[in-house]
Amino acid sequence: MNLLDIRNLSIELIHDDQRILAVDKVSLSMKEGEVRGVVGESGSGKSLLAQALVGVLDDKWHVHADRFHWRGVDLLRLSIDERKALLSRDVAMIFQEPMACLDPTTSIGEQLTEAIDSSQLTGYFWQRKKQRQSAAIKLLHKVGIKNHQACLTSYPHQLTEALCQRVMIAIALARRPILLIADEPTAAMENTNEGQIFRLLASLNQLKNMSILLISHDLETITHWTNTITVMYSGQFVEAGTTAQIFGKPLHPYTRALVDSSPSANLHLPAKSRLKTLPGSIPILQHLPIGCRLGPRCPRAQQACVKAPTVTNFHGHKVSCHFPLTPLKSTPKKTRKGTS
Amino acid sequence: MLIFTLRRLSLFFFTMLLLTLLSFSLNFLFPGETIINLTGAINATPSQLIEINEAYQTHRNIFWQYITYLKHIANGDLGLSMASQSSISTEIVTLLPATIELSLVALYIAMLVGIPLGFIAAIKHSKLTDNLILSISMLGYSIPVFWLGLLAILTFSISLGWFPSAGQISLLFEIKPVTGIQFIDILLSDSPYKWQAFSDATAHIILPACVIAVAPTTIFIRLARTSMIEVLDTSYIRAASAKGLTFQQIIFRHAIRNSLIKIIRHVGLQFANLITIAMVTEVIFSWPGIGRWLIESIYQRDYTAIESGLLVLSCFIFVVHILTDFIYAALNPLARGNKYGAR
Repeated sequence: MNLLDIRNLSIELIHDDQRILAVDKVSLSMKEGEVRGVVGESGSGKSLLAQALVGVLDDKWHVHADRFHWRGVDLLRLSIDERKALLSRDVAMIFQEPMACLDPTTSIGEQLTEAIDSSQLTGYFWQRKKQRQSAAIKLLHKVGIKNHQACLTSYPHQLTEALCQRVMIAIALARRPILLIADEPTAAMENTNEGQIFRLLASLNQLKNMSILLISHDLETITHWTNTITVMYSGQFVEAGTTAQIFGKPLHPYTRALVDSSPSANLHLPAKSRLKTLPGSIPILQHLPIGCRLGPRCPRAQQACVKAPTVTNFHGHKVSCHFPLTPLKSTPKKTRKGTS
Repeated sequence: MLIFTLRRLSLFFFTMLLLTLLSFSLNFLFPGETIINLTGAINATPSQLIEINEAYQTHRNIFWQYITYLKHIANGDLGLSMASQSSISTEIVTLLPATIELSLVALYIAMLVGIPLGFIAAIKHSKLTDNLILSISMLGYSIPVFWLGLLAILTFSISLGWFPSAGQISLLFEIKPVTGIQFIDILLSDSPYKWQAFSDATAHIILPACVIAVAPTTIFIRLARTSMIEVLDTSYIRAASAKGLTFQQIIFRHAIRNSLIKIIRHVGLQFANLITIAMVTEVIFSWPGIGRWLIESIYQRDYTAIESGLLVLSCFIFVVHILTDFIYAALNPLARGNKYGAR
């Protein structure tokens, strides 16, 4: 049974009587204990997807899905309040810019204790406060903050960005979630801190069998930490498969370009030559191309690409392209370079 | 916190210095003789004039004149009123508490009504409630205060007879002034009719205070609404809802405090506006406050009184301003103490 199964999720922005399809029929499924990466350029709708999952989008966004199952429960049949209650119990989310996500006027301790569900506590109400306090200290230890007393009494602006992200993870862990959605948790962080945060997430995954949906724009960093990867471009589903499949033999021209654009793939280039990139930039929401949105930038685009491609499945490796790079049979690894 | 307090005190000191400089220069700008404007001694005999000139050191240069003027102010000597020939400082001491009382009650009403209404409007953003509150606040803001005051007297004291139309307290009650603030004096007095006096004073203050409060209330509604909308749009509110708090918890634990911080700053600024409205209202309701006294002095060309009245009123506004700064610091941890890396 899948932990999460979403089919054809669309997110629309209603703005001045204009309807803009920001996320166009994206499917996503996750198994228990899996670490799935969602990769795409900024503006490809990854964060929107994550926020739609947790249900924290504003009123101006309209979310629609054909199927939305959570551990076998059809969430589309539940009322909004029931859905919210179920999801907020099982799904937690951490955001980019952790410092902006903590209330600047409330101390860390207060923000951490209020996230602890009162159903976890035992005893009478006068004992609750103490229990909450000790639970908060335990949570801080879990995310690797040893100096808990100083941390609990301080305000967000007194901590560093990486510490704030740890606190955010601690808050997310307070409800003992089954799925943790991490929306670019290490954006604007140095390399050492980035590694620490990712190692923390990986250990949580291994020790507590917590599933993680890791959203990032950087394919190369997250390949070390994920089992499976979904690639998105401009709000459309591009490709999904195991990390080895995506990184080793990408089927979609866009994924190929992403893999090729990483610094390690460009190591053998002669000095002062141009890095491999796709021409152009991601289209703005007001002027989206019809059909496959990669069309104008795609090196393999043909006339058929004005119609949106359907998803084809090659042994669990899903791709949405009319002209995939290596169709059906797998090709040896040495042809990786130079095809695009 | 000590440094914060010291900074505010030094700001107070230098602003007061500038204010005295302004009021000192007014003596030269008003028509008539400078020394008469300064002291208000219009009926002085030549021998008295020589004495006054000696006291204010008019033979020395303007800097020393200013220093002597400061010394006189520091000793509580603001000169004589040109109209009544009585000491201005004693008049101010008896009149100022009434204005403080009236304006603080009005500010309290304005905040108590305006801020929650603004929050409700923001929570029901672009729905019927929001539009209703906004249009009422627009209406309240556009009514001129003198007309509103007369209208209030006409309806509530003449046709309905609920509240008295003028004065601070009925003449029947004899309250000995101790602090000057009427309510405290009533509570301190040992008159057997203490509570009757208290309710009578309350009935007297309600109408003028409400009239003064109308315009600031509408401003607070707008301020509270915009700041709440801003706060509700921030990422920490989204993060709070992602961690499973209910909407009420988010509003009461996180949103209200953060939007109050943004409003408190403006309360001090709005207070100057409120005092202006209070001056007009004091005339309409014959409130024995400093505003009415100041307007009467303007009618009578009582330059000495105008100058000292302005000085005292602006000093009072500034004190309120500093007090709101302290409340702001108490609410906002970012304003207290050192900034990160600022040492």
